[in-house]
Amino acid sequence: MNKILGYAVLFFGLFCPPILAAVTEYHIQLKDHLFFPSRIHIPANQKVKLVIDNQDDTPEEFDSFSLNREKVIFAHRKAKIFIGPLKPGEYGFFGEYNPNTARGTVIVEHSKEESPDAN
Amino acid sequence: MLINTVILFLRDALPIFVLVVYLYAHLPASKLWLFFCLIAGALLSLAYINQIHIIGQWFDGNGIELSLWLSQLLIYLLTLVLGYGLTRDQTSYQYFMFWVAGLMISLTLVSKGSNFILYFDGYLNQSNVLQPLLLGTFLGLGICLSLAVLLYLAAQWLKQQFGAWATWSLILVYVTGQLVNALPLLVQVDLIDPSAIAWSSQHLVSDEFEFGHLFNVLFGYQAAPSTTQVTVYVLALLIPLAIFYWLKQRSASQSGNKQ
Repeated sequence: MNKILGYAVLFFGLFCPPILAAVTEYHIQLKDHLFFPSRIHIPANQKVKLVIDNQDDTPEEFDSFSLNREKVIFAHRKAKIFIGPLKPGEYGFFGEYNPNTARGTVIVEHSKEESPDAN
Repeated sequence: MLINTVILFLRDALPIFVLVVYLYAHLPASKLWLFFCLIAGALLSLAYINQIHIIGQWFDGNGIELSLWLSQLLIYLLTLVLGYGLTRDQTSYQYFMFWVAGLMISLTLVSKGSNFILYFDGYLNQSNVLQPLLLGTFLGLGICLSLAVLLYLAAQWLKQQFGAWATWSLILVYVTGQLVNALPLLVQVDLIDPSAIAWSSQHLVSDEFEFGHLFNVLFGYQAAPSTTQVTVYVLALLIPLAIFYWLKQRSASQSGNKQ
């Protein structure tokens, strides 16, 4: 019995650490096929959660080649996407169904604590 | 809207066309099974879309990602069954292989086709987009059909030159690519941890360019794959190839001993 419990703890420890980790949420609205805010600043080397609220009457697909993410967001629904840990830089995203208007950028920057100039 | 529709066809319809022509070249010619599995796949896609809001709420809102990932995994496992069929007496396994191929096409239609239904369902009722939407559909279908014909001819030539293992290898490469493409779905719902980027060939062939889209469909090309994706890709390709090569050699030596 103890062995089984031990294996279960080991399995949980190896494969389920993401469940335990708390992540910061960033909210984005999609209205009239525009993302707002269109530029989101997130800290480098941290996993974060994007919560996208589609307020349009049509579905949209959040898409990003550089972030390697795609997710359909139904009309008047919210969707969550985990991104990161990322290196500092700019990562574009767009709505696949309206790529001309629905565009945005995730800006990854060093937080004050880990910035080389912080000290 | 015109360009969006064409790109959507390249991204989501082309994988369906590629799998259909590969399987059509791989299996003995019969048009009826293909017709039935396309109908079954279309019906399954409609059923999936009909329930997608409910499925999306499963597993703390991760139901769509998990269902799409599982369908890709199932397609990969069915490809292995297809390969196992080649090591057996083909006449007795023929009908079974048609079922396997049918299921593969149906699952691909569900995972890729559902995106289309969502897109068209959302925009078809807007009168100002109808014309570019239809034009984009014709253009997209034209590109997909042209590529499908070329790929079919290439697959047929390979089959004539190297036998059915060649077309099965094409299917395995395609399916492994799709499986690896689906891995980020698990990362984006935080079920597996992201890994470091293995390399970046963004400056050579970008994911956003036409060739990037085409290579992604044909063999799962990604300009900046993660180390997990590379590892899964290599293992998912090499392990079945090694096992089936060994099985083929063993059955060849057994039939040699009987004679």
